[in-house]
Amino acid sequence: MPWLEIDGKPVEVPANLNLIEAARLLNVEIPHYCYHAGLTVVGSCRMCQVEVEIGGRKSIAIACNTKAADGMKVTTKSETVQKLRRSILEFYLQHHPLDCPICDDAGECDLQNYYMEHGLHDSRMPLEEKKHKHKVVEVGPHVVLDSERCVLCSRCVRFCREITGTDELGIFGHGRDAELLNAPGRKLDNDYSGCVVDLCPVGALTDKDFRFRRRVWYMKRTASICTGCSRGCNIFVDWETDRRYKDPVRRIQRLKPRYNEQVNEWWMCDQGRHGYSLVDSPDRLTVPKTNAQGNGHTPTVDEVIARATAKIEAAIEKHGASSIAVLASAASSHEDLFALRKLFVETLKVQNLDCTFSFEMKGKEDEILMRADLTPNRRGALELGIKPWGGEGQGGDDLLNAAVEGEFDVVIVVRHDLSSLLSERVLTKLRKNSGYILYLGTHHNGFAELADDVLPLAMWAERDGSYTNFQGRVQKTNHVFDPKGFALFEWEIWKKFGANFGVELSESSCFDLFNSIGRSVEAFSALTWDSLGAKGAMLNGVPEPPHRRIQTSRPLAAY
Amino acid sequence: MIGNGSVRLLSKNFDVPNMATLDVAMKHGAYDMLKRAMKLKPEEVTELVKASGLRGHGGAGFSAGTKWGFVPKDKFPRYVCVNGDESEPGTCKDRLIIERDPHLMLEGALICAYAVQAERIYIYIRGEYYYPAKVMAEAIKQAQAKGFIGQKILGSDWSCTVHLQNGAGAYICGEETGLIESLEGKKGWPRLKPPFYPAAIGLWGAPTIVNNVETLAFVPRILDIGPEKFAAMGSPKNGGTGLFSLSGHVNKPGVYELPMGTLLTDLIHKHGGGIPNGKKLKAVIPGGSSSHILTADECENLPLDFESVAARGSMLGSAAVMVIDETVSIPQLMHWMVRFYAHESCGQCTPCREGTDWLLRLSKKFLEGTARKRDIDDMWQLADNIDGKTICALGQAVAWPTKSYLVKFRHEFEALCRN
Ligand SMILES: Cc1cc2nc3c(=O)[nH]c(=O)nc-3n(C[C@H](O)[C@H](O)[C@H](O)COP(=O)(O)O)c2cc1C
Ligand code: SF4
Ligand code: SF4
Ligand code: SF4
Repeated sequence: MPWLEIDGKPVEVPANLNLIEAARLLNVEIPHYCYHAGLTVVGSCRMCQVEVEIGGRKSIAIACNTKAADGMKVTTKSETVQKLRRSILEFYLQHHPLDCPICDDAGECDLQNYYMEHGLHDSRMPLEEKKHKHKVVEVGPHVVLDSERCVLCSRCVRFCREITGTDELGIFGHGRDAELLNAPGRKLDNDYSGCVVDLCPVGALTDKDFRFRRRVWYMKRTASICTGCSRGCNIFVDWETDRRYKDPVRRIQRLKPRYNEQVNEWWMCDQGRHGYSLVDSPDRLTVPKTNAQGNGHTPTVDEVIARATAKIEAAIEKHGASSIAVLASAASSHEDLFALRKLFVETLKVQNLDCTFSFEMKGKEDEILMRADLTPNRRGALELGIKPWGGEGQGGDDLLNAAVEGEFDVVIVVRHDLSSLLSERVLTKLRKNSGYILYLGTHHNGFAELADDVLPLAMWAERDGSYTNFQGRVQKTNHVFDPKGFALFEWEIWKKFGANFGVELSESSCFDLFNSIGRSVEAFSALTWDSLGAKGAMLNGVPEPPHRRIQTSRPLAAY
Repeated sequence: MIGNGSVRLLSKNFDVPNMATLDVAMKHGAYDMLKRAMKLKPEEVTELVKASGLRGHGGAGFSAGTKWGFVPKDKFPRYVCVNGDESEPGTCKDRLIIERDPHLMLEGALICAYAVQAERIYIYIRGEYYYPAKVMAEAIKQAQAKGFIGQKILGSDWSCTVHLQNGAGAYICGEETGLIESLEGKKGWPRLKPPFYPAAIGLWGAPTIVNNVETLAFVPRILDIGPEKFAAMGSPKNGGTGLFSLSGHVNKPGVYELPMGTLLTDLIHKHGGGIPNGKKLKAVIPGGSSSHILTADECENLPLDFESVAARGSMLGSAAVMVIDETVSIPQLMHWMVRFYAHESCGQCTPCREGTDWLLRLSKKFLEGTARKRDIDDMWQLADNIDGKTICALGQAVAWPTKSYLVKFRHEFEALCRN
């Protein structure tokens, strides 16, 4: 492992590390545009030039393409380096349209930031000589390009080459006419297109969904995970609730991937990225609902729970626990499932319970991130002892069929919108054959119309919760803002039920619940809520997967 | 045209009618040296070329034999690329070689391929050279038919094929890694060095020797007269002769083959017949448009070899000597030169892409009469901000001449300023 000196500070770094990464270890930021740790090195922006002295010889080198070596002395702060940075910035800004006031990237733009830090020069470029290029180009369904802001770093091009292998973008023309554009006849419509917006160091590529929505400095940022599939990509939730000038109900402004070398590296899929819209959707269920009594009556939560309790008690009395079915959900957190298990399995001895349905296994799967299993917590559910009904496979399907055939008096459905999954005929049959249907859901849908009683659930951004992804990594969502209306945490609902059935659930937060799980379930015994940290932790006995560098296609310059 | 007074080593057979046909060429000894080389071990051929002091005639003047020696020992396959992109303004010698004696170059390329045990030769000829490419294609066909190219050449175990590729008119595809990218079917964007030094990681990642047409055409001659004699023809460290493309204000422009180290003034006056119309010499560009300009004084007593020209603060480059008399406006010359580079910049790296464009706008001001004194300093500063800060040497190729024009002829720029 080489020892070198960066700005006079000695540091030992792993072999093969370039100077940008080596400097990061000392919290020294070497400015750069084209370099990105997830992509090949091209060395074209020339912003990362530093002074390097080795064996008494001093020279200027680009930090991205210089490996840290023993005895090297690197200077990142000298007047020479400062002058170099200023000269590169001047090159970039000569034709820049200076439309920062209306640019969505303003405030998080590397051109702005570096200019403030290193440039601060007066322009030598007369405004009228500025060149014009394409503006407001829809390069794909989610991304808009402003070519005049582009610094031609080729990050987006390399992303589409190396990560997705789809090659939708290219730099065309040469010299000053070089311009980033779509490959002829191609749209940027791969499953990860939003990542190019994250990669773009300036405001050239913007997210259609986020354009002109918020100034970035007004937003707050909370770490969380995506619950869109069983990968559980680490994300940041960027949210803002004070300035509701555009869309009064929208709290989440955008999602951004958060680096986790074991899970998603720097990326996330478009589906996950735009999945937030469900959270602030006007279709959210915000109050309990009953279809049993006449129109217009909105019951309280306690009313619904009292009625459901009575129905469950009556069914058990009449036909035993086997007359109750619970179609639980692998989208529920460990805490929810722990409380559910305690109530139904341990106390009421309900056997007809499953959360594994084939309709949730039909997502698109690829070798980048996306998983066919669209639930965030199937593995966690299994670890908590929620085994497939009937012993194996997708027992949930059989359980659902049995319910349709009228084998149960009480059917409790958590989260699933059966109205969009079952045919009209089958749905009617289920309705007719079930004495009582309780639905716990997040959105208005056909099933919420059909169930006897409905309780509104809080969504992932409104609550804490932990989930085990397909790798066996336990990760958590964090409470960003409070649930809409009267929506409740799922575990809270089971706790309320439990009180009616004499179940002791003393825990009153996910924090407590998770730690209780750790004390009682072997797979979680090494974990506490706090130990999950920002990046999660593996289940007991499951080894850390190797750090993979996602690259599905050969880079243009790699052999 | 090969000029009068030339030493006929490489150009020995340039005036032989139908030299491009194999029969004629073989009567004049074509491929005899390939046979001789193949009697030696490959390493011995490389050693021979090293000893001859043969320098690259494509621009950088790198020792040819040394380059061949860089091929990693156990990496196969290997390739040879012949650089016939000849686009440096002022340079017109490779074309002559290809048209007049294509088999000489082919033979040189084959000897090189044998020396590095390459299995394939790519000849990259600039797009505008339509006729030379045709000549070369025919030569390849004939040599193939005779078994100098193909399987088990001359009954040995070594096989080698030859492929001809036309460029599409980009100067940057003459830069060796730009050429390789272009050959691979991509945009001619030069590669980042390290790690992409062609001798180690070249075409399709394989070790690749890229040599200029002229460089390779010398190789059969070295085997013919022996490396010692070849070395002795030139000046220290500069073996043999060179083809000098003489243009500009001389009475007899043309390509002259002269020993390395010939005096610049001899080339202009003795061979080129001096400056027309009794005009005075103002300056000389000694090595293609990328080299620093030399004032008339600096041209005195200057041997045309790589070291001597470098010691005078310029470079021999592709040995394209452009003579400039007193009627030429240097600011105008600079505008012409900068325009070329701004147009040919590949646009990959920032200093070159943005800098050449900016230089172009500033240099235009001097012609339009809108320049100010600070523009002179700005231009120097811009050139300095490009110089050495780019991926490939095109950055230097524009920065060096620009700086030299501005410094050596500052008074001409000042005279065109408004204040
Ligand atoms: C911008 C640029 C253009 C070049 N154009 C040519 C060219 O047209 N022909 C050529 O032989 N070498 C050209 N070169 C030099 C090549 O990169 C390379 O050094 C040369 O082909 C090596 O051959 P040599 O060692 O035989 O000279 C160019 C270099 C640069 C930087
Ligand atoms: S659009 Fe953005 S990411 Fe793509 S080349 Fe331009 S600056 Fe780089
Ligand atoms: S891959 Fe899965 S977890 Fe990752 S962003 Fe997409 S849906 Fe979310
Ligand atoms: S120096 Fe110019 S020609 Fe060379 S890679 Fe950079 S932009 Fe392209």
